[in-house]
Parts: sequence; structure tokens; C-alpha cells
Amino acid sequence: MLQVLINGALLGAVYALIALGLTMVFSIMRVVNFAHGQMYMLGGFVVYYLYGQYGLPFYLALPAAGIVLGLIGVAFNRFFFQPVLATSTREENSMLMAVGTALLLENLALTLFGEKQRGVPEVVEGIFIWGDVAEGGVVLTYSNMLVMGVAVLAIVALLGFVQYTRPGRALRAVAQDKEAACLQGVDVKTTTTLGFAIGAALAGIAGGLLVTIYGVNAGVGSNISTKAFIMVMIGGAGVTKGAILGGLLLGFAEAIGYDIFPGSVTYLIIFVAMIIFLLFKPNGMFGKPWG
Amino acid sequence: MNSLKKRDIYVSFSVLAIMLVLPLFIGQSRYLLSVLMNCAGLSVIALGVWLIFSIGRGYIGQAGFALIGGYTTGILLTRYNLSYWVVLPLSALSAAFFGALIGSFILKLRGIYFSMLTISLTEAIRLAFLNGGSFTQGSKGITGLPQPFSGDSPLPMYYLGLALLAFALLLIWRVHYSRVGRIFRAMRLNEDLAESFGTDVWRYRVMAFAIACGLGGLGGSYFTVFIQSVYPQSFTVEHSIYYMLYCFLGGLEYVSGAIVGAFVLTILFELLREFQQYQTLIYGVLMISVILLLPNGLMALGSSKSEGSKKALPPIGGADTTPGKADAKPMIGRSS
Amino acid sequence: MSTSILEARNITKRFGGLTANEDVNLLLAGEAGQVVSVIGPNGAGKSTLFKMLSGFLKPSSGSVLLYGQEITGMAPHRIARLGLVRTFQETTIFPDLTAMEHVSLAHQLHRQANDLEVVLRMPRARADEAALSASAAEILELMELSPVADVAARHLPQGYLRLLGIGMGLATRPRVLLLDEPYAGLNPEETNRAVMITRKIANSGISVLLVEHDMKAVMAISDFIHVLYFGKKIAEGTPEEIRNNPKVIEAYLGQEDKELGL
Repeated sequence: MLQVLINGALLGAVYALIALGLTMVFSIMRVVNFAHGQMYMLGGFVVYYLYGQYGLPFYLALPAAGIVLGLIGVAFNRFFFQPVLATSTREENSMLMAVGTALLLENLALTLFGEKQRGVPEVVEGIFIWGDVAEGGVVLTYSNMLVMGVAVLAIVALLGFVQYTRPGRALRAVAQDKEAACLQGVDVKTTTTLGFAIGAALAGIAGGLLVTIYGVNAGVGSNISTKAFIMVMIGGAGVTKGAILGGLLLGFAEAIGYDIFPGSVTYLIIFVAMIIFLLFKPNGMFGKPWG
Repeated sequence: MNSLKKRDIYVSFSVLAIMLVLPLFIGQSRYLLSVLMNCAGLSVIALGVWLIFSIGRGYIGQAGFALIGGYTTGILLTRYNLSYWVVLPLSALSAAFFGALIGSFILKLRGIYFSMLTISLTEAIRLAFLNGGSFTQGSKGITGLPQPFSGDSPLPMYYLGLALLAFALLLIWRVHYSRVGRIFRAMRLNEDLAESFGTDVWRYRVMAFAIACGLGGLGGSYFTVFIQSVYPQSFTVEHSIYYMLYCFLGGLEYVSGAIVGAFVLTILFELLREFQQYQTLIYGVLMISVILLLPNGLMALGSSKSEGSKKALPPIGGADTTPGKADAKPMIGRSS
Repeated sequence: MSTSILEARNITKRFGGLTANEDVNLLLAGEAGQVVSVIGPNGAGKSTLFKMLSGFLKPSSGSVLLYGQEITGMAPHRIARLGLVRTFQETTIFPDLTAMEHVSLAHQLHRQANDLEVVLRMPRARADEAALSASAAEILELMELSPVADVAARHLPQGYLRLLGIGMGLATRPRVLLLDEPYAGLNPEETNRAVMITRKIANSGISVLLVEHDMKAVMAISDFIHVLYFGKKIAEGTPEEIRNNPKVIEAYLGQEDKELGL
């Protein structure tokens, strides 16, 4: 059982990172970024090529995934989302653009990388064994420990950034009230771009981390997006603590479920449980109602 | 009749008329006919999605109900040997039933929560069929379904597709351009206002959702006999997303928008076949361009919002009104 | 002995730790066709009270009665069916529909045909359309909107839209009509006209309850006034009594006399 909980904590930490990225974009732009899973997938491919194929050290490849995706985020925001948000007559149009960019990224990845599943060599070798495995002991590879550690570190760094730095405060101000932030002298346009870039970078880093455990393929995006939606809906869209809580809950639910039930029954149960939960808390744990 | 509706009528009739006579010219090409059958089936499913957009919900769960319709068809055909002409309406009804049941709970969610929830719902329904044991035959799916028409010609299936499309179009048309459709629009624009003049919004939401899911089931059933099999992977989240895109790219203000979107995008994808491995990439780029250049959809092409009768305003309280006799307050005349 | 038309008994609304309304009593009684107003400075809890009366918010405690029947916590559309109908400040719902079509749409409660008949265009549905547009024409006449009956709502200025909103409320054939700030944002001329029309509506036997900021209009139109201040009712009475009530004057202290209409 302890093993299951450790697996849950590992998944939960990375999932929280994914959910934080999605919720960041939502809080700043009121856009659900359907391409979040595809950004995760691209992050995985960046690490796969830089670290797995070209032999760059992992500690360089992972930040590179964040930077590449951050830049893609800046470009998407500038060329796709801002024009649509400026001219659309219906609020659904930004959702349409998000779906369009998701398909574009997925098709791009299929064309460039093909459909094959890719994996990378272990980042750190070695294994940590605690107790007798046959009698409920724990096995944890150093590699998994590293993934969990980096994910937690990234979350803490993000929270610190948002809480204590000037651009972080600007992000919070824009998330709270765009007009008021503008009146206070916040550069809303730059801040929005920054928010989108951070959201995309978080997806990229999460993808770069999990590629070391699960590998990556071009079609993994919508699956990850769906998981991100679950986490964000449970915690409440646009709420930081909600994203972290949603990520941890889903991570543990998945780890425990896979231990008890065969195959895909776990997610069937998670979906049904989530739908029932939302009937009682339509805005998630901490969310406010959005139109 | 306003210009919007006129345009809607022209486009709808043109699509149906062209579909009707086209086999005269391409009747020998199985490939071309199958592309058009695809378009017709997708249009039926997308029309349902369009109706949910018309009540103000971003609906990305239609593939789940197409799957329910598909499995109803598969199970009834293989286990009970029923005629397809009984199975087809039953498939639509079962999807409508589950739609009403699920919808009566989830339709109270709004905005992105509803959209994200319906995506999850697609996946939940797929997993339910995947784990349905011997009843749904898991990932093997139900295969080897009998064809509804004997003989080798694809034309009967083609005309069945056209008939279903005509039916779905007529249904949504009648709903949208009637008092019920206006209530739907009122609910989209201001649910509280609609409720204040006595509309039972919950009932109308569930009604719209049942119709939409019923069309999903109808289309799902058609595709199932078309390819003579149904799997959990037959209708997935990606499909749900495409149905939504058809409505958007066609135009949400027009009933025919869903059809135009389905036809144009499906045919476009086939035309790009020449580019082989770049097919999907070019498709994605073109789609983004349409979203950027035509945010209100293809049907809005060349129509401007400002057209229409901009009459000069008659003064308020014209000559034909008489002030109430019991008015205690002095009347203030106005002639501006 | 007067009949109770609309009655709120000790209704209280709390949002978390905030109390928006506390133990508010309100009685609309006597002859049908009175105009009763609820006034109070910003944040006095007027719109919360309004929403509780019409079913859009459920009171934390207390009850609402319509002609003696308990309606507390009922869904708004059911309350509308019982004859209590509210209007909204934002009235345009379909920029493309004409004034006539708006009113006719709001007639929704009084059609005979069911939804299936409507979709299939059965005879009863067509008969409905004819009868309802005749009735809509009458309402537009009452609202003095006949000249703009066929103008799309997006071309109508604010003053007309406000009247149209009231007209839509009337189309449900209410016994009690709740008007939400019907005169807000109107120029004096438009206000005078709207006040006059409000009186016409009341004279036709419909009891009117309105929430309003414009003190001058309120003083002119009301038969009876309730004053809310920080969620509590501090006074009630005829316009004359309210004008001379020291508590009310104190509550409004700091506001200009002109605004008060004193």
C-alpha cells in the first residue's frame, strides 16, 4: 500500500504542475487552453531529442523544453489568441481557437515525429529499496525520485514567483480584475503574454519530466488535456490551490485505482465520481462561477 | 423574412438538391459516394451539437451519444436479429433517452465547466463500452453486422444518408425557426430573463439535449451499419471536437452552418490527400486560417452585421396613442 | 380588512458572513392596482430583496406569500405562472428581433399549443401566433411603443428598451409586476413618460412594486414607500410621511436635496 501512495504522490506532483499551467492561462485570459496536452507532448519531444537523441545533459534539456514551449506560448498568444479575443462576437470563439491550435500542434507532431512511442534512457541510475518488497516494501527508482523532486521544486518556485515578485503580483492583479489592474498601471498586454508563456512552459516541463517515466507519442495530447480538465474542474478553474489539490487528488486516485481495478475501469470510476461531485459543487472546490 | 434566414434556406436546399442529383454524375465512383455519405452522417451528428450551442452551451460530448446509438444498433442487430428499420429509430431513441437522463443533471453547469465536463463524458461513455464485458465485447467491438440493403450498389446507403440528413435538417429547422427556437435563443442570451417570463428553462434545456443526443445516436447508427462494425474507438474525444468545429466553422447563426462545416471540412481533408504525409498538417494550418479570418464561420462570408432595415425612428408616443384618462401626473409632450 | 396581495415575512438573506437583508417585512395589500416602491441608498439590499421576492434567490429565513400562498424558494418560472413577474434592467435579448416579436415571445405562458405542436406547426400553434400577436399589439399600444413595433431591438434607444422590458413583463399577464429600477439611466423626459405609463399599468388593475433610485420619480408615482437602509427596513409610509421621516432624512444625509426630491 505504501508503494501505491508513493506512486500517487509522484503522479500527483507532476499532475499538479500540469493543472497549474492550465489554470494560469485560464485565470489570466479566461481561455481554456485545449492545446495544453499537446504542449505537454511537445515538451516530451524536446527532451526526447535533446537528451535522448543528441545526448545533452538532462538538466539542460528540461529547461530547454520549458523555454521552447514558453516561446510557442508567446507566439500563440500574439498571433492566434489576441486577434481572436479582439474581434470575436461570441465568447466561444476563443475556445474554438484553442481547439484549433491543439489540432495544429498535434498534426505538426504527427508529421514531424510520426506515431511511434518514444522513450529516453534513465536520467539517474539506481534504485531505492526499503523493506522486503514481497511483504509490502517500497521500490523507488532514483529517476522517479528526481521527477518528483523537480516537480515539487517547480511548483514552489512558481508559487514564490507569483507571490513575491513584481511580475508575479501583476499576474495576480490581472487575474483578479483586468480593468483595475490597468488602472493601477499594470501593463496588461505584457502580463497576459507572460501568463500564457508560463502556462505553456509548465506544460512543457511536465512533459519533459514524465517522458523519462512513460515516454511520449504524438497522440498523447488530448488524453493529458482531459486529465488537466478533470483536475481543474475539481479544484475550481483559475484557482492556484485548486489546481494543486486537483492534481494531487487525481494522482492518488489514479495510483490507487490502478492497484485495485483492472485496466481502464479506474478512469471510468474517476469520471463518474467527478460528474457526481460537480453536481454538488458546480464550480469545484474553490472556484467562482464563470459565465 | 430576414436575410439571415433567406441565406439559410438557399444553402440548405442547395446542399440537399446537389446531393440528390449528384449520383447521376458520379454514380460509378464508390470513393466519391462514400465521401459524401461521410459528410451526410457527420452533418446529422453535428446538427445536434449545433442545437446545444443555440441554447448557450459549448457541447463537446456528442461522440459519446453517437457511440450509444452505434452500440444500440450493433447489439440489437446481432443479438435480436431485428430489422434495421426498427433498429435505426430505436438507436436514436436510446441515445435521446440517455441524453435526457444525463442532461437533466449536467445541464445546470455553464460555460467552460459544461464544455470540459462533456469532453470527460465522451471518454466516460467510451470506457463504459470498453468495460462492458460480453455485452459490448470490450475492445474487440461488435463486427460483421448485416447490411440493411442487399445487392452491391452503394446507392441505397447513399440515399439513406441523404434522407437522414433531410430529416435532421427539417427537425432542427422547425425547432429553431419556431417559438421554441426563440425560447432557446432567449435562454442563451439571458437565462434569467427567459425564466422571468415563465419559461421552465430546465425542461427546455433537457429537451434540446435529448434532441441533440438523439441525432448523435441516429448518425452513430448510420456509420455503424455503413462500416458494419462498432468499437469503443469508433467515436472518441477527437470526434466530439470535430463535430464542434463543424458548427463553428460553418457558422453558429445558421442551421445550415453545421452542414456546411461538415461538408467543407470533410471534402477539404480528402482533397489534401495528394499531399500525403503533410495532409494533416496543411489541414490544421487551413483550419487556423479560417478561424482567424472568418471568426463567425463560412456562412457569414460576405454578410455584414449592419445590413438590414435601418429605419428612421418614429418619435415615441406617436399620434395613435392616447394618454390614460386617469393620469394624475401632467403629461409631458415630446416630439423629438 | 384588506386582502394581502404580496407579503414578505421577516425575510433575511446572508451571504457567508454578510447580511444583505435582515428581518424585512413588506406588505402589499388592499386594492389591486397600487404602486408601491422600495427605496434606499446603494447597498441597502434592495436588489437582494427583489430577487428573493421573485424566486431568483432563496431567503436564508422568512417567507414570501403571494395572495396568501407560500412561494418561498419556488423556481422563478413557477412564481411567474402564479402571477408575480419581474423585469430586468437590461432588456434587449435579441438584437435582431423587433419590439413586437419580443413581446410576443414573452407571451409564452399563454399559448395553447404544446412544444410538439409548435415544432410541427399544427393548427393550434398557428392560432396561438395570431392571438398572441394581437395581444402583443395591445401591450405595445399601452406602452406607447406601437410606432416602433417593427423596429429591431438593436436600433432602439435605451428609453424604448426599458419600456419594452416592462412590456415583456406585461405580456405574461401578471397580477403583480416587479420593476427593477425602471427609470435608471433615463433622461427627465423619458422618465416622465415611463412614470406615466407605470400609472397606466397600475390603473389596469396590476399591482406594481418597484425598486428605484430616482427619488423624484418615486415620490411622484408611489402610493406607498418602504425604505431600506443597510439591509433593514427603517421606515414605511405614504410619500408625504417618508418625506418628513427624520430617520429617512438622516439615512440620506449627505445626498443633495435635489436627488432626494425634497
